[in-house]
Amino acid sequence: MTSSRSRIAASIAGAAALALIATGCSSSGEAAGGGDENITLSITTFGTMGVDANYEKYMEENPNITIEATNLEGGGAARDDAYAKIAAGTGLSDIVAIEEGWLGTIAEVSDSFVDLRDYGIEDAKDTWLEWKYDQGTDAEGRVIGAGLDIGPQGLCYRGDLFEAAGLPSERAEVAAYFGGEDATWDRFFEVGKEYVDASGKAFYHSPRFFWNSFVNQQEEGYYKKDGETLNIEGNDVLKAQFEKIVEAEQSGLGAGLPGWDVGPEAKEDKFAVYMCPSWMLGIVQGYYDEGTTDSGWDFADVLPGGAANWGGAFLGVSESSEHKEEAAKLALWLAAPEQQAASFELAGPFPSTVEGQELVADTTSAFFNEAPVGEIFAARSEGVIAQVKGPEDSNIQDNVFGPVFDRVSQGEITSGDEAWDEALVLLDQLVG
Amino acid sequence: MTSSTLGRAARPPRPVLTFRQKVGRFDHRFSPYLYIAPFFILFALIGIFPIAYTLNVSLYDWHLLKGQGDFVGLDNYASVLGDPFFWNAFGNTVSIFLLSAIPQLVIATGIAALLDQTLRGRTFWRMSILLPYIVAPVAVAVIFLQIFNQYHGPIAGLLETLGLEPIRWAFDVLPSHIAIASMVNWRWTGYNALILLAAMQAIPRDVYESAALDGANKIRRFWSITVPMIRPTLIFVVITSTIGGLQIFTEPKLFDGRTNGGGDRQFQTIVLYLYELAFPRRDFGRASATAWILFLIIILAGLINFAISRAIRTADARPAALGRMGRFRRSGPGGQGSASGTGSKPAPLTVTGASVGAQQGES
Repeated sequence: MTSSRSRIAASIAGAAALALIATGCSSSGEAAGGGDENITLSITTFGTMGVDANYEKYMEENPNITIEATNLEGGGAARDDAYAKIAAGTGLSDIVAIEEGWLGTIAEVSDSFVDLRDYGIEDAKDTWLEWKYDQGTDAEGRVIGAGLDIGPQGLCYRGDLFEAAGLPSERAEVAAYFGGEDATWDRFFEVGKEYVDASGKAFYHSPRFFWNSFVNQQEEGYYKKDGETLNIEGNDVLKAQFEKIVEAEQSGLGAGLPGWDVGPEAKEDKFAVYMCPSWMLGIVQGYYDEGTTDSGWDFADVLPGGAANWGGAFLGVSESSEHKEEAAKLALWLAAPEQQAASFELAGPFPSTVEGQELVADTTSAFFNEAPVGEIFAARSEGVIAQVKGPEDSNIQDNVFGPVFDRVSQGEITSGDEAWDEALVLLDQLVG
Repeated sequence: MTSSTLGRAARPPRPVLTFRQKVGRFDHRFSPYLYIAPFFILFALIGIFPIAYTLNVSLYDWHLLKGQGDFVGLDNYASVLGDPFFWNAFGNTVSIFLLSAIPQLVIATGIAALLDQTLRGRTFWRMSILLPYIVAPVAVAVIFLQIFNQYHGPIAGLLETLGLEPIRWAFDVLPSHIAIASMVNWRWTGYNALILLAAMQAIPRDVYESAALDGANKIRRFWSITVPMIRPTLIFVVITSTIGGLQIFTEPKLFDGRTNGGGDRQFQTIVLYLYELAFPRRDFGRASATAWILFLIIILAGLINFAISRAIRTADARPAALGRMGRFRRSGPGGQGSASGTGSKPAPLTVTGASVGAQQGES
């Protein structure tokens, strides 16, 4: 009703707030229009998405296009950046990478992004996994995001450390040792305990990622299927797992490290496993020097508790872009199977298109001891469906459970019950 | 002649002015306002307007992306003041402020006193202490992150050598505050030292000479002459560091870039709390209310500072206060000499979305 007024107001507010967030991704000043005139397209991505593997090729094939790329450090930074620019009503890149965790929030203001159906995404609809395509579609049926990668998860582990602790170290044996297709979380903690007892070192860096994986495995996560009702208080399944993690912390499974940026600790062998959705491979690899092949890391085709998706990104074209046509063309090209495959080769995010997955089926990773990552992720994505995320999903992950796990890791909370109650208090303060 | 005389006697006729004269009169009357207008127009645009607009936003249920919602009056203020996270942020801000302001003032005064001596290569030394100030805060944060790394930093190494427990800089409240305060100190101590030095330079040298003749040693001269005479400047420095300290953002934000002040809000300051509300949590209404609360806190702190400084000045005015040195008071306390030198400190006075954006821009 007051949309135009609030829009103007919001623009002013945002402009005031953001006057100085100069990230240098202004869209080009040239007039819109097709043809062969020179056009600069800006794109903002985050983390290790590997999209950059394709820029050169596109610019070679389309000499009139210059791609101006910005890569932000993490999903959180990209989220805040996108929110701020949407609020300001200006400043978004022509193409913006959107993460699954906050796509739902973007969809609430989906008119900030163009409907890709106007630019022919429907012609390629069948190339994507169905659920991925649906995720990029808002409630009114507008397609605001072209799917890039999905996050099937396997287990990164240190073969050398496993061997030293007397555990199996060859990747098929490791998978089988954890229970193969029937791997359970109980078994995972058991193996962890064995490792800790044998090596005197922690098994994983922080319980956060493993908790996240567990939550993603449930049919309903922090929210019920409607995406609005919270599903935490009184949820015995979540609570039981939560208590197991607290118990595992007491047994020394966790190294008490922060969730991210643990490269130096990895090199010091402070932990032996890492939860690895496809896009995490690039992050683990990034902890080491380029070209490292003797880090000891390997990658096993197993996930305690069964297959689940964690994360994955989309490319959206901003409504404020001056070259929507060209930007949409580039976005769809970047999200096409061949380019998804190239991104995977470079950084690890697993293609969300069937053909893309086929293209990478034979890919191995030198860093992960020549593990057949293409094949493993294909296996790990079987039966994966996307869970419905609510508006505060990432907030709950980061600010409710994260801090409580930290307190447990630091020995400030010792009982599972107490930790759970603490989480509920935080939840109430933040979301209630 | 007659007619004009008559006219003057009765009622001065409105002189018919030529166009040029009119322009001249207009020029005379209004030009001064035009000359000062740019400042005030700019100030209205980037100062008054955001403050007023923030006030407006703070009275509504306002979603960052979806925009204005219902009018809620002071509900946003009530919910911020009732939020334990706000008070946590308030406590952290005060704690970091005290940990930075006090050592900073003491050290800055000490450095200034040393630089006030006759030194070889004076300019070199003076420029050197300003160096940290011109280094970008982000670069400072990167360096200090290495120093305060719990596992690999030089401090961790030192503690290990001494056989002590490592300090959990990013996890524990007090250590994190100390680490952040050291970044602030590193950046601002030299700057404040220069301001104080300017004040010290304005103290007439013969005061020192006569004190020396009377047998006052260096330390005595420092406490009985230097400190009292730079007091107005000290107060100025306190006020500007209060304003800056309460708005601290860059250092704690960069201390752990992935969170807004620590995984458990160990070092979340008020502006970080505001940032968290505005962006990750998208509650622009409450964020604006927080901005206004902070604005009022700063005004309050400013008033307290002002009251204290006035009390001190009144006390100083008593002629006996400085004993035989009293006669030099005519020449004015050192602070005046430094006023122009200090006016350029970019103290962000407004606490609005604008200044948050500005600080974000730095990072």
